[in-house]
Amino acid sequence: MTDERDALRREGIGLEPEDLDGQSMERLSEYLDAGRTPPDPAIDNSPGCQIALDALERLRGLTPRLFADDVAAEPAVDEGWMAGLMGLIALDARAGRRIPISSEFGDLGITEGAVRGEIRAAEAAVPGALIGRTRLHGDVTVPGASVRVALDVSAPYGVPIDDTVGRLRAEVWRRLRDHTELTIEGIDITVHDIHLLPSPEEER
Amino acid sequence: MTREHEPSALADADDRTLAGRAADGDTAAFAIIVRRYTPMMRAYARKILPGGADVDDVVQEAFITAWQKLPSLDDPARVKSWLMRITSRKAVDRIRARRESDDIDAVDPAAPEVATPARVAEARSSLEALRAALAELPEDQRQCWTLREIGGYTYEEIAEQLDLPVSTVRGMLARARKTLIVRMEQWR
Repeated sequence: MTDERDALRREGIGLEPEDLDGQSMERLSEYLDAGRTPPDPAIDNSPGCQIALDALERLRGLTPRLFADDVAAEPAVDEGWMAGLMGLIALDARAGRRIPISSEFGDLGITEGAVRGEIRAAEAAVPGALIGRTRLHGDVTVPGASVRVALDVSAPYGVPIDDTVGRLRAEVWRRLRDHTELTIEGIDITVHDIHLLPSPEEER
Repeated sequence: MTREHEPSALADADDRTLAGRAADGDTAAFAIIVRRYTPMMRAYARKILPGGADVDDVVQEAFITAWQKLPSLDDPARVKSWLMRITSRKAVDRIRARRESDDIDAVDPAAPEVATPARVAEARSSLEALRAALAELPEDQRQCWTLREIGGYTYEEIAEQLDLPVSTVRGMLARARKTLIVRMEQWR
């Protein structure tokens, strides 16, 4: 380390306490991590500390570039690995609560997961709309109990949001009426994002 | 399993939409998240694991945990940083488990291939210099540095993750930075 230290000193950079007006690299690292607050005059007025802080900052500035470079250098996702992972995931279906359906054949029901799938499928009737999270508020396990549906939506750019929301609400309503016996009290739609529709030539 | 959606319609969807759907059980949405963030998680795990071993397993474990825990993620828009956290936790668990089994079996662990003199020699840009210098750091220092600078962990969080006193973490981070600066200034 002594050779390196001497080499650095010739460059005007010293990282030992005697170069840093008595401050340590631990202290300077933490000072930088804290955003140089609260201001410490002993550091701010020391040329040696300023040189070391500049070097620490150069290092920090390079880090996001290094990581972006590393990410870009990773190979494409291995399809065998991907298939294995998705196979494990599929074992854990999110069925959720059981929603009863009256029937002359006895006790029937559908899962909450299936109802959510039915709600998501409503987006097919509203080009460009994408449904995110869906919630069924209320005790869906009790026949006839009133339920509020909450949807998170990303809406297509260039279409009035009210149109998108209105059409989605009508479609969700229709599907729930046709496929469940839930008493829908209301459908609350939150538009959290607007996205550009892919142009036809970009479509894969 | 039925595909609810043509992948193309969802492929460019924002994280909140995808993570929200995945939380609700939409495997197609989850598959897009997996494709989107696997390179990031691999690169991150590679920096934490000795010699970059077991990256595939660690990232797979991280995604399985993510799938299980997604319904409890409060803000699905933050799925990216959440995945980074899960990845580092799995990587550190892996290192710990291996260390323990090594103790039991008294087997010499394969020497991590950290020293890369060839790369050092050809290091031209400051980026390459940093990469080479990182590869030469002792494992524990590199892990601390990676959790801090790439993972954005606090000193206390690193200490908890690595099961070390905060003072040790502080010292290792300072040593790591000092070494990196020394190396990089030599290439300037």
